[in-house]
Amino acid sequence: MAPTFFFYLFSVVLVLCAAMVVSSRNPVHSVLFLIGAFFNAAGLFLIAGAEFLAFILVIVYVGAVAVLFLFVVMMLDVDFEQLRSGLQRYLPVGIAVGVLLLAELVSVLVGWHVHPAATAVRFAPAPAGVSNTVALGELVYTKYILLFQAAGLVLLVAMIGAIVLTLRDRRSSRHQRIAVQNARVPGETVELRTMALGGGVPVADILRPRLTQPDAIDDDPLEPTHHGGHHPADAHHAPEGR
Amino acid sequence: MSFWDTDPGHLILVLAEALALLVPLLIGVAYLTYAERKVLAAIQMRRGPNVVGPFGLMQPFADALKMIMKETVIPSGANRALFLFAPMLTFGLAMIAWAVIPVNAGWAIADINVGVLYLFAISSMGVYGIIIAGWASNSKYAFLGALRSAAQMVSYEVSMGFVIVSVLLVAGSLNLTAIVEAQRTVWFCIPLFPMFIIFFISTLAETNRSPFDLPEGESEIVAGFFVEYSSMSFALFFLGEYANMMLMSGMTTILFLGGWLAPFGILPMLGPVWFVLKICACLFVFIWVRGTFPRYRYDQLMRLGWKVFLPASLLWLVITAGVLLATGTLPVPA
Amino acid sequence: MNWALALPEIVLAACGLLILVIGVLRKSDSAQLCSMLTLGAFLVTGLLVLTRPGGIGYYGQFTVDSFAVLTKLLILIGAALSLMLSFDYNDRQGIARFEYPVLILFATVGMMGMVSASSLMTLYVALELQSLALYVLAAFARDELRSSEAGLKYFVLGALASGLLLYGISLVYGFSGTMDFGVLAHALGSPAQASAGLIVGVVFVIVGLAFKISAAPFHMWTPDVYEGSPTSVTVFLATAPKVAAMALLLRVMAEPFGHLLASWQLVIEVVSIASMVLGALAAIGQTNVKRLMAYSSIGHMGYALIGLAVGTPLGMRGVLVYLIVYIFMSAGTWACIIAMRRQGLAVEKIEDLSGLARTDPGLALAFAIFMFSMAGIPPLSGFFGKLYVFLAAVQSGLWTLAIIGVLTSVVGSYYYLRIVKVMYFDAPGPALDRRPSMLGFVAAVTGVFTLFFFLFPGPLVAAAGTAASALFG
Repeated sequence: MAPTFFFYLFSVVLVLCAAMVVSSRNPVHSVLFLIGAFFNAAGLFLIAGAEFLAFILVIVYVGAVAVLFLFVVMMLDVDFEQLRSGLQRYLPVGIAVGVLLLAELVSVLVGWHVHPAATAVRFAPAPAGVSNTVALGELVYTKYILLFQAAGLVLLVAMIGAIVLTLRDRRSSRHQRIAVQNARVPGETVELRTMALGGGVPVADILRPRLTQPDAIDDDPLEPTHHGGHHPADAHHAPEGR
Repeated sequence: MSFWDTDPGHLILVLAEALALLVPLLIGVAYLTYAERKVLAAIQMRRGPNVVGPFGLMQPFADALKMIMKETVIPSGANRALFLFAPMLTFGLAMIAWAVIPVNAGWAIADINVGVLYLFAISSMGVYGIIIAGWASNSKYAFLGALRSAAQMVSYEVSMGFVIVSVLLVAGSLNLTAIVEAQRTVWFCIPLFPMFIIFFISTLAETNRSPFDLPEGESEIVAGFFVEYSSMSFALFFLGEYANMMLMSGMTTILFLGGWLAPFGILPMLGPVWFVLKICACLFVFIWVRGTFPRYRYDQLMRLGWKVFLPASLLWLVITAGVLLATGTLPVPA
Repeated sequence: MNWALALPEIVLAACGLLILVIGVLRKSDSAQLCSMLTLGAFLVTGLLVLTRPGGIGYYGQFTVDSFAVLTKLLILIGAALSLMLSFDYNDRQGIARFEYPVLILFATVGMMGMVSASSLMTLYVALELQSLALYVLAAFARDELRSSEAGLKYFVLGALASGLLLYGISLVYGFSGTMDFGVLAHALGSPAQASAGLIVGVVFVIVGLAFKISAAPFHMWTPDVYEGSPTSVTVFLATAPKVAAMALLLRVMAEPFGHLLASWQLVIEVVSIASMVLGALAAIGQTNVKRLMAYSSIGHMGYALIGLAVGTPLGMRGVLVYLIVYIFMSAGTWACIIAMRRQGLAVEKIEDLSGLARTDPGLALAFAIFMFSMAGIPPLSGFFGKLYVFLAAVQSGLWTLAIIGVLTSVVGSYYYLRIVKVMYFDAPGPALDRRPSMLGFVAAVTGVFTLFFFLFPGPLVAAAGTAASALFG
């Protein structure tokens, strides 16, 4: 009884959340509904006995992906009313395509004829005697190792792509150089002086801290002279080093 | 069979268990705030709270009373529902995570198969309370705090994940009880010492504690994400932060310090006491760090997370797996 | 399990990781070195592909047969040629970064996986590996608006196509219970066993793959992406991925869905006719060489699809011959286009070629050879490509396709010959810059192949025949 109840609970909320994701006016609310949808999907996984998948779904999608979505969406300044302005114009086309797809789907449903081989797989239970984490691990790392590694390459390419398209080596930014900082000793920066009583600072000629003048920073970012923060150490790193 | 088929009697039992866990937990949180003030005072050669009650012991309750009596102010431009939801979320998450923590052998409300994942999932969701609070407050400082915390927590989760994976490799299970039992011979903080350090520092970042308290950074962005909060909604954040500290200490204890196992087999029947003592030790380090280290600069924080912890934890993960495989000690799950 | 079956891919991917690390560690000035290393990796991989034994491995997800070997070699050749063309171009455009060869390399790994896929899942993952790298490459000149736009357009439409493909795959899986090509072929032994849902799934798969080979009516992205991307990337887009996607389509249609020929033949015919007609007509009004070549490539894919529509080993052989011919011809043409540079700036208008025969007779001659070949004028190689597919169509009685094919080639030759006319009979404009020797080398090699293909069609056609029959084995 309880599983059925929870199944329908999760499913109904999942569908409602999904509907709100697309219909909500505020994009931040959309993302929050999306998170709600992820949660309910995780709940469905739990009912199906796939607890590993359920928690991975929460960790990866709720804990990381949706955070970044939210991060981006919160900072966006998009006029969503303006985006909707084309709606009137494209609605007929959209509806036509939608109806066509629906008709196709209905025809598919009517002509539903599942191959006998498919019914066998549909309810394939996890192998007896092992938790589904173990079962999944054994599948992913043995039978599907090729795909697993290929998927890893896909992610690597995505990462290279993100870096190559966005990373700019701004030469005006000051890189921290930990080794230089750590190698400094008090003697290089601190000067101890014996002050005459009542003489005041002007006597010692230390009215202002002595600043090493940084090089004029060349603002032309295209000039390919030096890369990767090879700056003259004493000039650029003075602020951190002090 | 499973949770879904439980009868009402069991449900009542679970509720009672939850109550038995939560009440001490909340009292613990209250006295953690007291302990923090006392320890910080000791570090700074002050006396700390000493007026309300003997040795100031009633101070947490006086604070709570003050919070409750205050008016809840909701900024005019704020998103009311989300503004009020955020602190509840933070506090609630810090509480529900305790459902899987085994205090002693078999003493867990839910001793589930994938306990570590559950804990990790809950802790990774903590960021939502902060982001939502920052966004819903409709305030620049709050929003800046929220952005900082989002980037910070996501960054440190990555290396935390790798640390947890290496613990799993050694323990051969995702079940928290099994992980503790796997430490009977030696606590994991010995063989996985670098991971222990990385994990502990990451928990500091994950709980937004000093020296990684940039999301609140009172000297730069006033109080960060909870600048607009007052009264009980503020108190919930406050309690949530301290409950999170306890939770993270609990995680550290279970993953690295042998949970309820007695050190050197001294008085092994006092499992829960050992567990609480270990948590207290971790909490003390939390406070000690706060009293000792200055706040990290933001780029340093990111550098530490991505350029130091991530490669280091990955490397150690590979080493761990390699050593286990080479010595044939890789645990084979049943 | 015979993991060594994928050794060429594994070696190539490992080289990619290595080159990536070298590039990152050396920071600057590593683009040239990484490109050379990538070429070396291609060479090693090519040798491995040639020498490794075939078979089916990885629990039926990966297969190496003569078809895979032939197409992998073509892919490697295409990738290597386009990489050679990129050396100087990237340098002068200020986009010489070591990620470029690395991305090309990983795209090539993906393409090699595609042609070896024998499960719908392998197909999808490999296709995504290739596509993702291509999206990034299209936007590689990130400071140029056109390139960013091309990358974004390609990405959005490509993601849509991937979605359709995935939807089709899920339908096929849902109705047949397997993703394995061999099992699918067995399960779909007779058309009666294919339900409507499965056919819809197959159609979605065809649509997804037709997008990847940029066949009409799923070609919308092609002209914009070809025009907007840096030309070195366009060269790559126009060579290796075409072969890979077409080979993938061949395998999917022939192996798992071979018995459903009657169901999908019409779809392929329609796509083929649409591509040929569009390729012939839409290119006429173009003034930009890159756009023109984009439409031309749509047309060529249409011709190649004739062979697929035939659905016999003979037809598949025609497609493979077409691909062999096309990859050389296309690389050569692009070598000529990439040489179009005046006072340091890349030019890409057709009128920029005017009078080239007098200012640079060598380049003009090469360009003319490729244009004649593209038009399908005997005895150049382009003629043989078309000949074999038309032959197969006629033998199977698909007269409509063959006739439309011939008609559109006649129409299409107009715009190819127009370029020749502009080069040879128009008043010369300012001379083009001196071209780097690498371009000359590529143009010469491909030109010689295109020009003298008629002397030795035998072995290549025989190899294509063996490869094609492997699909039906």
